[in-house]
Amino acid sequence: MGYGDVQMIDANGIRNDGRKAGDVRPISIELGVVPVADGSCRMKWGSNDVIAAIYGPMEAHPRKIQRQDRAVLDVRYNMAPFSTSDRIRPGFNRRSREISKVTAEALESVVMLELYPRSKIRVEIEIICAEAGTRCVGLTAASVALAHAGIPMTDLVVSVASGKINDVVVCDLNKAEDNYGEADLPMGILPNSGELVFLQMDGDLSPEEFKQAWDYNMDAAMVIHDYCVEALKTGRYPQ
Amino acid sequence: MSIPLVPQLLRSHLRELAENDQRLDNRSQFEGRDVEIEVGILGNAEGSARVRMGDTIVLAGVKFQTMTPYPDRPNEGGLMCMAEVRPVSGRQHEAGPPSAESIELSRVVDRGIRESGCIDTSDLCIIPGEKAWQVILDLFAVSDDGNLFDAFALAGITALRNAIIPQEKFELGEDRPLVVSKTPIMCSYQRVGGRFIFDANGREELGGDERIHITLGDDNHVHSLQKGLKGAFTAAEFTELMEEARKKGEELRNMVHALEGGN
Repeated sequence: MGYGDVQMIDANGIRNDGRKAGDVRPISIELGVVPVADGSCRMKWGSNDVIAAIYGPMEAHPRKIQRQDRAVLDVRYNMAPFSTSDRIRPGFNRRSREISKVTAEALESVVMLELYPRSKIRVEIEIICAEAGTRCVGLTAASVALAHAGIPMTDLVVSVASGKINDVVVCDLNKAEDNYGEADLPMGILPNSGELVFLQMDGDLSPEEFKQAWDYNMDAAMVIHDYCVEALKTGRYPQ
Repeated sequence: MSIPLVPQLLRSHLRELAENDQRLDNRSQFEGRDVEIEVGILGNAEGSARVRMGDTIVLAGVKFQTMTPYPDRPNEGGLMCMAEVRPVSGRQHEAGPPSAESIELSRVVDRGIRESGCIDTSDLCIIPGEKAWQVILDLFAVSDDGNLFDAFALAGITALRNAIIPQEKFELGEDRPLVVSKTPIMCSYQRVGGRFIFDANGREELGGDERIHITLGDDNHVHSLQKGLKGAFTAAEFTELMEEARKKGEELRNMVHALEGGN
């Protein structure tokens, strides 16, 4: 089946999981899920289940990776073998490498690396269960885990994707929508300034559709930011 | 790196504690940490479990693939057990290809399950000589505060005992439970401060010597043994550990069975 062949939205604009176009899937956040780490966060988002753990700042070795004026961020995004419908063979692949790279660059934009010259901060993102949008969940969870580790940052990064299905722009695509969708626009947003530190897109969006997807992401990021702040204050969201 | 600059300090501290029959976290010599087991926690796995022992947390997920049976065993499927100790689980764990330690880990856990005969591989045959189920057990460390061996083995057998063969997805009929007839349990002991203790935590592992892993089946039959790290032990010591493993194994086995509603 190709694009648009599967009807995912009914006549009343209700999606296959009962959401309206601008709704985000249910989210829960728990801190301290990796007790041996310096900071950690488990984020469940729809059926996604993601763990982010922080180690550091620590000595950067080998020495050639050290920077005299700042810390280096060592970010790894990885999908556990049992996280998807078909088992994934362990090990790095091109996809996880790219996601690790853009996630690192998004986080480098907010972490105050200049405070820790010559050191390294490790950010480990593990996808335990995947259901569309894992890069967004991973990036958001990593920023919450960094805050939990007490690493100075200028802002959190909240990441969310909108896309298009059956010619309707919708926020936060689920698995079925992602499989049959016509476009996907993930963004990483700094809630306090409204700036972006992460942006990707694939598919086909008209200028109007693009504007709508952009606005959905901006609005959703503010809501998700509130969840993250609540979790950081009390250790979990919802209570 | 968290390896202390002067590990001798830790070692002498552990020796002092052992001489007074004490441990770092006030446990007795053969007392394990509290064990929590949850099942069915991974939405995309056909069987799953999470085990927590103190600050050690592991996940186990079961997936199924179809395989061509081996020519010498045309009527049998297969079991594969893989353990990953990724850098998420501790600052001492580096990224990269599997370390010798994590390969040892998966092989010892694999042997305990395989050799107990708890999975009847002939029950995994779909078309003799052509198609059979391969059961893949993936073990994943979330947080390593010592004794990943026992945590992995416990999570592994629990996940297998709760696994469903996804026959519908492969258009091979209705889904059915994987038949697991036994419950092999691993108990690991490490020499710390001169004596063997059960369920070493991360600090005890760091300052400890040789370790012994014992996997016992339902009738206390021995299914796998492994001695790891530098050190020598006596026959008398081993006899005592076997006796302890029988007691502890029974306790843990009952715990796994209780999750299944008294099986």
